[in-house]
Amino acid sequence: MTLAPPRTATAASITDGVKTYGRGDSAVHALDGVSVDFERGAFTAIMGPSGSGKSTLLHTLAGLDALSSGSVRIGNTDLGSLNDRQLTMLRRKSVGFIFQSFNLIPTLTAEENIKLPLTIAGDSADEEWFQTIVGTVGLDDRLTHRPSELSGGQQQRVAAARALVSRPDIIFADEPSGNLDSTSGAELLGFMRRAVREFDQTIVMVTHDPVAAGYADRVVFLADGSVVDEMHEPTPERVLDRMKNLGG
Amino acid sequence: MFTTALKGVLAHRVRLAMTALAIVLGVAFVSGTFVFTDTINARFETLFTDVYAGVDASVRPETPEFGAQPGQNPGSFDESLLADVSAVQGVSVAEGSVAGFAQIIAPNGDPIGGQGPPTLGFSWIDTAALSSVNIADGNGRAPEGPGEVVIDVGTAEGNDLSVGDEVGIQTLGGTETFEIVGLANFGTEDNLAGATLSIFSLDEGQRLFGLEGRLTAIDVLGADAVTPEALVEAIAPILPEGSEVVTGDQQTQEQLASITEGLGFLSAALLAFAGIAVFVGAFVIQNTFRIVVAQRIRELALFRAVGATGRQLVSLVTMEALIVGTAASIVGVFAGIGVATGIKAAMNAGGFGLPDGPLTVEPRTVIVGLAVGIVVTLVSALLPARRAATVPPVAAMTESAAPATGRSLRRRSLGGTLTLLIGGAMLAGGLVAENGASLTLVALGSLTLFIGVSVLAPVFAIPIARVLGRPLPGITGDLARENTIRQPRRTASTAAALMIGVALVSFVSIFAASIKATVSDTLEGAFPADLAFQSTNFTSGVSPELEAELEALDEFDIVSAVRAGYIRIDGEELNVAGVDGDVEAVYDMTPSIDVADLGDGMLVAQSVLSERGWQVGDIVDVEYAATGIVPTAIAGTFEDQTFANYIVSLDTYGANFSNESIIIAFASLSDGVAVEAGQQAAETVLASFPNLDMNTASEQIADAEAQVDQLVALFSGLLGLAVVIAVIGIANTLSLSIVERTREIGLLRAVGMTRRQIRRMVRWEAIIVAVFGALLGVLVGSGIGWATVFSLADDGLGTFAFPVGQLVIWLALAAVAGVVAAAGPARTAAKMNVLEAISYE
Repeated sequence: MTLAPPRTATAASITDGVKTYGRGDSAVHALDGVSVDFERGAFTAIMGPSGSGKSTLLHTLAGLDALSSGSVRIGNTDLGSLNDRQLTMLRRKSVGFIFQSFNLIPTLTAEENIKLPLTIAGDSADEEWFQTIVGTVGLDDRLTHRPSELSGGQQQRVAAARALVSRPDIIFADEPSGNLDSTSGAELLGFMRRAVREFDQTIVMVTHDPVAAGYADRVVFLADGSVVDEMHEPTPERVLDRMKNLGG
Repeated sequence: MFTTALKGVLAHRVRLAMTALAIVLGVAFVSGTFVFTDTINARFETLFTDVYAGVDASVRPETPEFGAQPGQNPGSFDESLLADVSAVQGVSVAEGSVAGFAQIIAPNGDPIGGQGPPTLGFSWIDTAALSSVNIADGNGRAPEGPGEVVIDVGTAEGNDLSVGDEVGIQTLGGTETFEIVGLANFGTEDNLAGATLSIFSLDEGQRLFGLEGRLTAIDVLGADAVTPEALVEAIAPILPEGSEVVTGDQQTQEQLASITEGLGFLSAALLAFAGIAVFVGAFVIQNTFRIVVAQRIRELALFRAVGATGRQLVSLVTMEALIVGTAASIVGVFAGIGVATGIKAAMNAGGFGLPDGPLTVEPRTVIVGLAVGIVVTLVSALLPARRAATVPPVAAMTESAAPATGRSLRRRSLGGTLTLLIGGAMLAGGLVAENGASLTLVALGSLTLFIGVSVLAPVFAIPIARVLGRPLPGITGDLARENTIRQPRRTASTAAALMIGVALVSFVSIFAASIKATVSDTLEGAFPADLAFQSTNFTSGVSPELEAELEALDEFDIVSAVRAGYIRIDGEELNVAGVDGDVEAVYDMTPSIDVADLGDGMLVAQSVLSERGWQVGDIVDVEYAATGIVPTAIAGTFEDQTFANYIVSLDTYGANFSNESIIIAFASLSDGVAVEAGQQAAETVLASFPNLDMNTASEQIADAEAQVDQLVALFSGLLGLAVVIAVIGIANTLSLSIVERTREIGLLRAVGMTRRQIRRMVRWEAIIVAVFGALLGVLVGSGIGWATVFSLADDGLGTFAFPVGQLVIWLALAAVAGVVAAAGPARTAAKMNVLEAISYE
């Protein structure tokens, strides 16, 4: 039995996060002192107008990009102290990703894509868990298909299943429904909400779509690199209103 | 359009740089060969013109129309002719000389030189203007009497000899000791192309070469105002039959021609290898352009969308090829000068003393180098360019930038098979052509075969890559395998470039192994003799006294010596051997009639009889250089695999040849004498024949095999260039593919793949491609090798050998080449920034 670190109430957090591109007069503050905690077992949406720094926030939280100052923690781990290899291991074990597009390796089948994080780590899949996820996303009869044989919605659901398969501490999603029609988008977002509610997963999602944000438990509003507001139990209408006030 | 093309090239400079490298290497080898040959020719021309500048005319024995045996003493005329020539009006000075074979023996008893370049001996000419050699400053004096010799500075320096030292000199008459009284230069050079020069006084030379009272040349200096042509005209009428007079110029040109001819072979061989390299380069270029076009589909479609015609796109890509080809060819021509220096250094290191001097770069070298590079690049880019024209404007709007996969595999299979068959037919036709194999047809057939296989390769790529990739461990192996399969055409054409080099290397291996097997079969079967004695000097035989001296030893039972010379039948120059009746006892040739009973007749090999449609009993007109046409009866026949296809008795040989020197001698031991004892006894005799090698049967086989191995090493080395270019091709394709898969690699990194795993994945992919190419190469090479050996079975290549071990080594080396090719791309892939990769458009 491995000794797991004690589960914290916070799955991930960023404290006084500053990310600056360029220098001197031409310096751009993509993040300007952001502090947010992401609660375990919650579905959080990050919203903001273009250039508000929401993608940068996601990337720094996921360890794909380093902060200029401030700190990021995932679980008990401070990402600032990790080298590339340790960051890779962290992503392998503790983080899941759903991107807007190009989530899948075209040469692998749906099943192989879902199990990819485990295969890379040399671990075997927990078959029961795998079946549960696959059943939930409704891909039972698509497992042997290659990405080119799947619809856009199915591809994103494969990506979501892959993000879940290693039971990570936290899943980051970057406009996951951005390229989908409304029906497929609704299916995907519905599935993501079920993963949080029923399987106790933690998801942080960047989006600019108020409807997508409506599936979340909480919405964090970003503008000019800072957190300007947040909203619990959002509805699309309330989110839209709030966005209008932000000028997005 | 040119500006756009130039910008295109600059934008893809990294991708195109590797392509350019492939062109540079090929062009460098082509122009390097030209520069080398031109330089050597020019240097020799300067040297010879300089050396013979003073000779206005030269009297010499007429060269026999054929049958001049290299290294053997030329004809001669009576020395009284010198007085007659001197008396001719217009002759200022005439001086006679002799020349012959002279092997210098180092004080430690080893022969010096003779492994290729000739060992020349001649007499000193007092008139400086007529002499090709001169005593180097402060290095002694000319030879004046018995026991004195002058040798060339180069040989002296190379063997730590100086004035006052004693050396042995072996001539056809035996070996004597001489004191070095001077060191000479040949014109301005220390040495003449690796030859060793031994210069004696005229009397001593005449005695040593067995030419008492005779001369082999009279060099003439004309009086002022007499042209060489007038001199020749004046001298010609007084010459006896069998001698002739030529101008100094003509003599120089003839000497140059023989050197040029020798270099011509070398140059042709080097150009052939350069051609192979260029051919392989063409594959690499085509592949690169195809990938670059495929990756730029959206960009090209945008051009179409804003109104460019398909033709404009073709010319855009062609123009890019032109720019790359021109730039690379210019670099290649310059690099060729370096290559020429390298070849020259390698030849000098191998003992060929090539004259120093500046490199000669003829306009032809530059023109051909540029033309080869540019034309090959343009032709290779043509197909990819035509694909650019088929890009529909709508492709600019669609999300997927991935190119549609190529046309149906069925058409490809058909075309490939057809090309393959044509190539095979040409190859077969070339191999069984009349008058031996037609090299051109064989070469063209092989090239067509290569093209056919490369057209077909995508059809096999998927199943073979599956099989090759199966044993690779882990997800990295799986992904690598799938990556090679996803674009079978790309994998196949990358592998095809390597296939060519490996096929040729495999062919050489198989051919060489078959020669070795045949030689060892032949020698083992036909060598009841215990010892064989053979001259180490390629250009001369051994004195006939050897036979008597060996026979005088109690340790030997039977000694049989073989002489060899040239005859002509129906105008074709052929080898004939003269043997004594003992030969059957020491060499298993199973003649249908005893050699002792041959009389005036000859033995003709079985294969020759069937080839020419002769029968035992026929009378054939045999032409000898000395005695003219002699109708000769075919007295019997023998199985092939011996030293010559025509054999006559020693009496017949002696009647028709003036030269009695021995090419090879066989000896069998007396009863109860061990091989070692026989060898020890023979050593005493060998002391006076220093350029003689004594071999047991197994040593003889080992010797022959070593010679073949040397050639294999040389050819494989030269083919290495083609392999290097193919490896560049693999690296190129991989880096292009990795650019294409940036997002994919980013994704793999995002979900937890380490840099090391990424590197391993790229490396596995390269290994699969390389081994696939090598596998095709071994297959094709084996096919060509088998066909060649099979077709030469009649010409004495009786045994087909398949060197499995060696071919496996080539496959393993191909895998290593894959790892080398993957090094750069793997590093690039691993270094990829995850964030940039996933946000890459």
